[in-house]
Amino acid sequence: MTYTGWFVEQFGAGLGWFLANLTLILAIAFPVMVGVALAVYADRKIWAAMQMRRGPNVVGPFGILQTFADAAKLFLKETIIPAGASTGVFLLAPMISFTLALVVWAVMPFDAGLVLADLNVGLLYIFAVSSMGVYGIIMSGWASNSKYAFLGGLRSAAQMVSYEVSMGFILVAVMMYAQSLNLSDIVLAQKGNVLGILNGNIFNPLLFPMGIMFFITALAETNRPPFDLPEAEAELVAGYQVEYSSMSFALFFLGEYANILFMCALIPTLFLGGWLPPLDLPFLYAIPGFVWFLSKMAFLFFLFAWVKATVPRYRYDQLMRLGWKVFLPLSLFWVVVVSGWLMFTGHFAAAPGVM
Amino acid sequence: MHPIFASIAIAGPETILTLGSLAALMLGTFTPKHRALVVTSLFAVAILGVAGFSLTDAPAGRSIAFDGLYVADDFSAYLKVIIMAAAAASVLLALPWLQERGAGRFEYPVLMLLAALGMAMMVSANDLLTLYVGLELAALPSYVLAAFSRADDRSAEAGLKYFVLGALASGMLLYGVTLVYGFAGSTQLDVIAQLVSAQAERSIGMLFGIVFILAGLAFKVSAVPFHMWTPDVYEGAPTPVAAFFSAAPKAAALGLMARVLVVAFPGKVAADWQQIIMFIAIASMVLGAVAAVAQTNVKRLLAYSSIANIGFALVGLSPGSPAGISALLFYVTVYVAMTLGSFLVVLQLRRPDGGTVETMADLAGLSKTQPKLALALAIFMFSLAGIPPLLGFWPKFAVFQAAIASGLLGLAIIGFIASVVAAFYYLRLIKIMYFDEPAVALASEGSPVNGALIAACALFCSPLGMLAMSPLAVATARAAAALFPA
Amino acid sequence: MAAFAFYLFAGLLLTSGLMVITAKNPVHSVLWLILAFFNAAGLFILLGAEFLAMLLVIVYVGAVAVLFLFVVMMLDIDFKALQRGALQNLPLGLAVSGVILAEVLLVASGWTAGQGVIVHEALAGPPPGMTNTQWIGSQLYTRYFFVFSMSGLILLAAMIGAIVLTHRRRVGIKKQSIAAQNARTPGGTVAVGKAAIGQGVEL
Repeated sequence: MTYTGWFVEQFGAGLGWFLANLTLILAIAFPVMVGVALAVYADRKIWAAMQMRRGPNVVGPFGILQTFADAAKLFLKETIIPAGASTGVFLLAPMISFTLALVVWAVMPFDAGLVLADLNVGLLYIFAVSSMGVYGIIMSGWASNSKYAFLGGLRSAAQMVSYEVSMGFILVAVMMYAQSLNLSDIVLAQKGNVLGILNGNIFNPLLFPMGIMFFITALAETNRPPFDLPEAEAELVAGYQVEYSSMSFALFFLGEYANILFMCALIPTLFLGGWLPPLDLPFLYAIPGFVWFLSKMAFLFFLFAWVKATVPRYRYDQLMRLGWKVFLPLSLFWVVVVSGWLMFTGHFAAAPGVM
Repeated sequence: MHPIFASIAIAGPETILTLGSLAALMLGTFTPKHRALVVTSLFAVAILGVAGFSLTDAPAGRSIAFDGLYVADDFSAYLKVIIMAAAAASVLLALPWLQERGAGRFEYPVLMLLAALGMAMMVSANDLLTLYVGLELAALPSYVLAAFSRADDRSAEAGLKYFVLGALASGMLLYGVTLVYGFAGSTQLDVIAQLVSAQAERSIGMLFGIVFILAGLAFKVSAVPFHMWTPDVYEGAPTPVAAFFSAAPKAAALGLMARVLVVAFPGKVAADWQQIIMFIAIASMVLGAVAAVAQTNVKRLLAYSSIANIGFALVGLSPGSPAGISALLFYVTVYVAMTLGSFLVVLQLRRPDGGTVETMADLAGLSKTQPKLALALAIFMFSLAGIPPLLGFWPKFAVFQAAIASGLLGLAIIGFIASVVAAFYYLRLIKIMYFDEPAVALASEGSPVNGALIAACALFCSPLGMLAMSPLAVATARAAAALFPA
Repeated sequence: MAAFAFYLFAGLLLTSGLMVITAKNPVHSVLWLILAFFNAAGLFILLGAEFLAMLLVIVYVGAVAVLFLFVVMMLDIDFKALQRGALQNLPLGLAVSGVILAEVLLVASGWTAGQGVIVHEALAGPPPGMTNTQWIGSQLYTRYFFVFSMSGLILLAAMIGAIVLTHRRRVGIKKQSIAAQNARTPGGTVAVGKAAIGQGVEL
């Protein structure tokens, strides 16, 4: 009997369905939140290690409870709303950021069949939700009624919209290989896709540059260094977050890290074979897919932290130049190359609707 | 071979224009700045020429392409020749003006090519979708062209006004399209005709759809009551752009209107749209004639003149008969030559301060300072007024004849009265040129190409043009017959 | 369940549509508009058109409305004056919406699409074994290839237009030339000389 089926039997169709999905949602959201706390800690530790410091080491063993202590401090503080702020929008903005960062996990397959909503337009769903992420920032920037926040919001809006364009083209290349927008299908299409033994689009020479571009775009989409211009503390104090305190700040912070974790999960799904082991060898499948998935995520997160620790911030015009003059033409051209190659090799011959 | 290639071959002119416009864009970008404009313009003219000549090679009769979205027949071929010729002339006549205003703005001919492509699509539309996309493709470059001299406030205002009103008209058109689709169950014109004639009684929703489509199209041809933008846009837009607006798009939109109404709504519903067309025709003729009397600006005058002329052309559409459509095509042909000629003369003249002619007072005594241009303008004005020996008389005669033959005597009489009123202001302009004392000494800008274009238009509109009438009559009759399947 | 979702989305859509025109602050209007788009996407999902729903969110909510918000935030609009103007035009607006309402009612009450004649194939759903994304794609690139590619040209024309009307080569500003920067060598820019004591260096 399925999980939902059991609930339906116990509580009736409507309530049972509702309760089943509610528990499933919590089963994703709660680990994500804990993951965020650990990710912040890991981020600070890695960063510290690269700079020959110790990092957090006071609260709990090895300082592992540092983030929880920070969170508790933030929750206990007073929420301050600036006098000139547009109150409704001001309070709505962090909620939107946080909600969207959690909602997007719904379509992420953690293992074969282990996904909350197996949408057949999953990739578009992710793209849609991540394109809405900009609203949290731009609304907070406007509602704060502060020039630093506003500039940060505007920068961020322009940045995220710009990088979404090339991100879309990269996704097109991936979905052409998989011939599907469903994330599970995309993962399964990567099984033994290179030389019959390597699992993962990244090993495909045609998709390798796309994978690299996607990683950089993911940095820009999540406002991570070297693309953290929206908050650029040196010039904008803290950008769109400058007027936020306590809980509302915590929501932004959690949302930001949840987004980063999501990108660390999406890149493996699209390019590293998701829950599949890197090599298509039978004994590797003895290790559960979930473990492969989490270790790939951890690896990606290490890369994110590594970049943050070592790369200086971009200047704004350089950022725009990279997005529009380098990534856009390159990814567009590469889509043409990939689709031409796929047509040439008869990749689409069996696809439905091809004349 | 994939069936799509056969369709692409049938849509030869569109294919040539598509590839040509892309090539022109590349050419303009990679040519040195000081030569970019001239090179791109000449290339654009060549592309338009090739597209026009490709029509002579087209198979006779009616060929449908792209699963019924597109039709190539004698009607579309005839109008495409006019459109290509008018667009080519518009590219050429703008060249000196653009050069004077410096800096290789090679986008002008590229936009012109895209607009010509849209217009070609319009006259070949066999589906409401093609109609809409073609209309937008023709309109969008037009908005940009209207605002082309962006440093000039009036030009920017003209562009904005045209854009906002044009978008509104497109919205209405699209609304009409959805209504027709909803009530007929298809967007393909000939299928709509079948479905409509199969319906037991005419549906009121369909009628609403037709009204909305007509409102959108009336805006594009600048017929009353959707004419308000015309004088403002003509006055504000750069003169070569106004010349373009008055010629090719009008021919395309009239052709489109004729095809949609005649092909998709024959029989029972025909009476409905005929009433609307008659109303639009009468209103346009009367308002065009009366409002023009008070104008002092030459471009505004020509704008009202074009409104009135559209009214006369629509008289040809009112009966919905082959003779009427044939007269409409004849009218459009001559009108394009007359209006392009008039704008060319205005464009050729330069005030002492280097500006183009704006007010009618500037033209006083033109016969003494520029006798040749004055003569040409006089020919165009007499022709627009419909004074008998000149060519402009005959198409008016033809549309009235077609209207009377279908029993629309009243329409013809109103048209006749309107044309008498209109003659007043055409003749007044001639009086200003020939009998008033020169106010300012106008110089001729002296471009030989434009001179040749003026001479060609003037010859065509002069009594000599009657030599062209019998081949034109054959061609228009053939083109009109294509809309009425035997 | 579906009925509940429909009324939820439809109700929110209408409410936010109403708020768009009644909100005092244009930024709030745009935010309500975004909510309206979002609910329209929800209605698409109920119709089984998930591809269109996602596209609506990606294109309108994610891109168009962001730029819209961008512009509105930076405008300095006198709301009071705008609303006075709106009140003056209220009768006309009511008349127009009355006409449109009447038409919608007509359409709803008189749907008799092509009696006894084969109705356009587009009214049928996707064939079995095809998601509607694949189906839309295969229709767009075959049956509607012509209008689809021409729509691309419309966008090209719009792009050329935007560049023609706004791009200007400004003089007197410093620009970074990446290529020149990368091509620099120490030989061309650095001079090593000996400065005599007490005299400094002539530059």
